Amino acid sequence: MSPHRPSPLGELVQHKRAIICCGAGGVGKTTTSASLAVAAARLGRKVLVLTIDPSKRLAETLGVASNPPEPIALSAERLRAAGIQPPGSLHAWMLDPKRVSDDTVHRFAKDEGVVQSLLGNRVYQQATQMVSGLHEYAAVKALHKFITDGVYDLVILDTPPSRNALDFLDAPNRFSAFFDSGVFKLFMPGATGLIGRTAGKLINKVLGTVFGQDFADEMSAFLASFSSLFGAMNADFKQIQAFLATDAAAFLLVTSPSEAALAEAHFFHDKILTLGLPFAGFVLNRSAARTEKEFPLTSMLPADASPALSSAMEKLKWLARTEHLRATRDRGILADLGLRGGASAFAVPLPELATGASDVATLSTIADLIIQERRSGR
Amino acid sequence: MQDLLRKRVALITGKGGVGRTSVTAALALVAQRAGKRVLVAEVWDGTDGASPLAQLFGVPRLPRTAAALAPGILGTQLRPDVGVELFLGQVLRIARVARAALDFDPLRRMFMAVPSLRELGIFFHLLSYLRASHERGEPAHQLILLDMPATGHTLALTGLPEVVLRLIQRGPIAEALREGQSYMNSPEKTGAYVVTLPEELPVSESLELLEGLQRTSVPSGGLFVNRMPTTTFSPDEVAAVHAFLPGRSLFGTDGFHRAQEAQRAVQRLAKSTSLPLVELPTVESTGPALAQELAERLQAALVPAEGAR
Repeated sequence: MSPHRPSPLGELVQHKRAIICCGAGGVGKTTTSASLAVAAARLGRKVLVLTIDPSKRLAETLGVASNPPEPIALSAERLRAAGIQPPGSLHAWMLDPKRVSDDTVHRFAKDEGVVQSLLGNRVYQQATQMVSGLHEYAAVKALHKFITDGVYDLVILDTPPSRNALDFLDAPNRFSAFFDSGVFKLFMPGATGLIGRTAGKLINKVLGTVFGQDFADEMSAFLASFSSLFGAMNADFKQIQAFLATDAAAFLLVTSPSEAALAEAHFFHDKILTLGLPFAGFVLNRSAARTEKEFPLTSMLPADASPALSSAMEKLKWLARTEHLRATRDRGILADLGLRGGASAFAVPLPELATGASDVATLSTIADLIIQERRSGR
Repeated sequence: MQDLLRKRVALITGKGGVGRTSVTAALALVAQRAGKRVLVAEVWDGTDGASPLAQLFGVPRLPRTAAALAPGILGTQLRPDVGVELFLGQVLRIARVARAALDFDPLRRMFMAVPSLRELGIFFHLLSYLRASHERGEPAHQLILLDMPATGHTLALTGLPEVVLRLIQRGPIAEALREGQSYMNSPEKTGAYVVTLPEELPVSESLELLEGLQRTSVPSGGLFVNRMPTTTFSPDEVAAVHAFLPGRSLFGTDGFHRAQEAQRAVQRLAKSTSLPLVELPTVESTGPALAQELAERLQAALVPAEGAR
């Protein structure tokens, strides 16, 4: 292990064009993503970090608390505090599913008529208000847009904290299942052939009974307009799928040492490998694997220690046992992740920092660690 | 917090990683011991992967529809496909037609393709358990404990009736949604319980979640502050340690700082809300043992002591 060898995360933020951070909720994924962005910007890169649902404080630190319509630059003062100098820059954006899908409609619709009929359609409006699937879809759209625009050297995507976070990679297939099969045509007026007409009638009857005829009609209209966008969107998706499979992209799994978070990490790891995506490594966040401390001992106390200090020392000794055990456990978990990732991946620990870890100073501290942290697990 | 056991639905909410699922499982054990017919539920994630909630009962995943999970405890996934099928069965009257409609591939795809219908299906599946009756017309599931998904999804689900009713005002969907609201918006029947950690950021986020729940008209029932430090320091001890620590790097100091932060966090919660607040200790075990241990701690807060009855 040469001291001159760059850290694996440092290497990642230096060379990649897209980093996708996955993992369970509550493991510090958003803070890690923002810290990676600070580290990359310090190395002189133009970075955009896309987040889904940052905590209020982190959103304020990044300047996205007011949900700006486009990526926003970190203020000059914060850039200085984070040690970022030109040409390095850091932009942040909070993904708004409604905004992203509206942009998609504008971009792919053949004419203004389609745009208006879609944006005004109540089914469409409803769809963009509901969460399922749309965050994921919005995320990949935004990622693709910012990469193809070429304004940024690196885009870091903080995926939503759900098992379905990687579903966006399947999105073209799922849409295809619906549209390519010609299934949706049955909903359209004027379905052809005996089977088509019969099926169309049954569908209309069921939908009309369940939703009311007005709503069923509107749903058909939505599908008709949407299907006209589909070809273009599909091509777009295929492009981003291809891009994400290249070496320019990297998938990073963030986890904490908790059993549940590790189970999620294993789930995502399998999924990333199954999809043939470039897996970079594990970040074991909130870990005590690198903690090197002394045990508190009664002999450390001065001869004239107060009763309060003496009783506090007993409590510290008790807490120390737990913390020492945790450090040992986390080293084991780290080694295990290293083995699991194999020779081509890495496993690096990041420590638990003071809570509310969302100001620029904290992000900078983590960025320092990211650039320095040595390869581990082998 | 004793009225939790008198609700029909307890929505257990909170950010990922705070122990929401463990609290749900522990509550089920307490409710079962108190003689309730209890059903634990979670929103199906669409995969065949293991469920952390089911693992707390020693099984890999929850059944598709209500089935025994442990003695006296039923478990179920809440699934859009099951919900839609149940709903169609009700609306189309004839089960055969409902099944045919769903066996018909295009129609099934249609139902699953529109995002809000997924949420609706989940909602109907839950409603079917609220409606189900036992002998003498008593509810089959006296208490449904729902391990809610992450915050954003939670509010999407609790806000669903209002959003959809703006869109569909008449017909069977609207009726079912209004029936659901009669449970979900009633403080006697429903309570949302927020699980949080005694740390600054989680407390801020919990207070935001409580505001969000209020906006969706779902009554909040209380707070569980999980992983409270068990070792605490008196003011004299705190001052003594602060004077002793500089220049030293010792194991045990993280726990010392966490204890002070926990006190501040709980004080802030108590000041910001009038909801009942139950503190739970850090429990190191995993799986069913973890649920058992937490249940013992919850017992005192939820069930009146023998003498007090």
